[in-house]
Amino acid sequence: MKAEYYVRETASNLGRNITITLASVMTVAVSLALVGASLMLRSGVENATRRWQGGIEFVIFMQRDPSPEQVQSLRDDLEQSPEVASVRFVDKKEAYEEFKLLFADSPELVDSIEPETLPPSFRVEPVNKEVDAVEALGKTYASKSGVGQVVFASKTIRLIQQLSSRLTVGIFVIAAFLLGAAGLLILNTIRMAMFARRREIEVMKLVGATNWFIRVPFMLEGLVQGLIGAFLAIAALAAFKPFFQKWLPSSRDIPLVSGFQVSSGEMFFIFGTLGAVGILIGAIGAGIAVSRFLDV
Amino acid sequence: MIKIENVTKSYKTSTVALRDANVEIAKGEFVFLVGASGSGKSTFIRLLNKEETPDSGRIFVAGKDIGQLSNWKVPFLRRNIGCVFQDFKLLPTKTVFENVAFALEVIGRPRSVIDAQVPAILDLVGLSHKSSNFPNELSGGEQQRVSVARAFVNRPLILLADEPTGNLDPATSVGIMRLLDRINKTGTTVVMATHDRGIVDTMRRRVIELDRGSIVRDQSRGVYE
Repeated sequence: MKAEYYVRETASNLGRNITITLASVMTVAVSLALVGASLMLRSGVENATRRWQGGIEFVIFMQRDPSPEQVQSLRDDLEQSPEVASVRFVDKKEAYEEFKLLFADSPELVDSIEPETLPPSFRVEPVNKEVDAVEALGKTYASKSGVGQVVFASKTIRLIQQLSSRLTVGIFVIAAFLLGAAGLLILNTIRMAMFARRREIEVMKLVGATNWFIRVPFMLEGLVQGLIGAFLAIAALAAFKPFFQKWLPSSRDIPLVSGFQVSSGEMFFIFGTLGAVGILIGAIGAGIAVSRFLDV
Repeated sequence: MIKIENVTKSYKTSTVALRDANVEIAKGEFVFLVGASGSGKSTFIRLLNKEETPDSGRIFVAGKDIGQLSNWKVPFLRRNIGCVFQDFKLLPTKTVFENVAFALEVIGRPRSVIDAQVPAILDLVGLSHKSSNFPNELSGGEQQRVSVARAFVNRPLILLADEPTGNLDPATSVGIMRLLDRINKTGTTVVMATHDRGIVDTMRRRVIELDRGSIVRDQSRGVYE
């Protein structure tokens, strides 16, 4: 009985101001799509440059099968060096896992590699991050026994990371403004619905309908607008994802970086975030409208 | 049923709408509130269902001090009080049946109760044959009957009427008064604010006269002045 009433009233509220309802739904959708796209971009860049996260400036690859003594000796060296801020050892197994992730866009390459063929490595974060100092420090390890190659973070990678983080911030700022606009639009849609129903509301108060009974359809109206907006944004991003990965450079274009992959787990997280933000913005808009303009 | 103790109510414009009022109304009484416009009749009525709160004094309705009532309980107070107004306050987009059913629907009464009680009350007010008409298809008197039906369908203990005949011609008014009288005879306490001298003088019920916020007369079986 009650549920039926709420559904009917909410649907009729939404239908009554269909144009402004659509305006708020579309604003929610566009702003959430922007949020989602920037989150996708961030994950993509993070995945592509995973090796170079957290201030890692160079990687010392061992030969394919170093003796445990060689590994231990290099580890002691690195850990005792005052010029090394931190060091992390990546064994064959972990290297393979990372390789699979990095080259997820070229499965034939992943298939051709066995875990044994990948060398273990040390990821090194130096104290001094000046380019010359990093290179000088890295080169001192190139001649140690068991070391295969020392690889430095290229300028391209730093550039990509910087660009993506600035782009993400920029998109977030725009999206925040749009979300604010969406919240205000939802608030006004509900206010109009209340105005259209002022006689009903007056009678409801008179005959003793509870405050929540009067409020619920308007609250639901806001939530539905937020949810539909979020749903549209999610659908758009899901449809857009294959193109997103095609457009961005692949591992073949930039050395030492792999494809811009966004895993399905990350997509799930992004979609969940969008849904939650959509509901939140609807609830905030509706909550303000109900508390400010519904004098019960 | 209703007890008003030393109640004073003034509005921001510094006009005193009710000054130190003391009234006791027993269950089943029929009371007329008379007085010029602005004498405080509407305020008196609005205080009873807590649309207004007094500046000082206490108001008891059905044994409860409504000043102590928390906000969320006010709707439950109002379920015991039916209200009828000069301007009917019917919903133009709903039929007669739906207008009356609405009052039950929004307090969560089940469909079965609505389907049983609405036809019965429409029969009582003599509008069974118009139940699927819209308010704008009815005369003023018929619209007021619908409004009375809506106020009474939940069988409240008290019926408040603020100039219910204010927009009606004398003949139609008599019909409405008969209806209110019948409702009163079922044991419902009726408090009615009115300007209608003819009605007050014919019915000869208790009359409370207000003048600029003060009760100047409280007379059983009284007349308009």
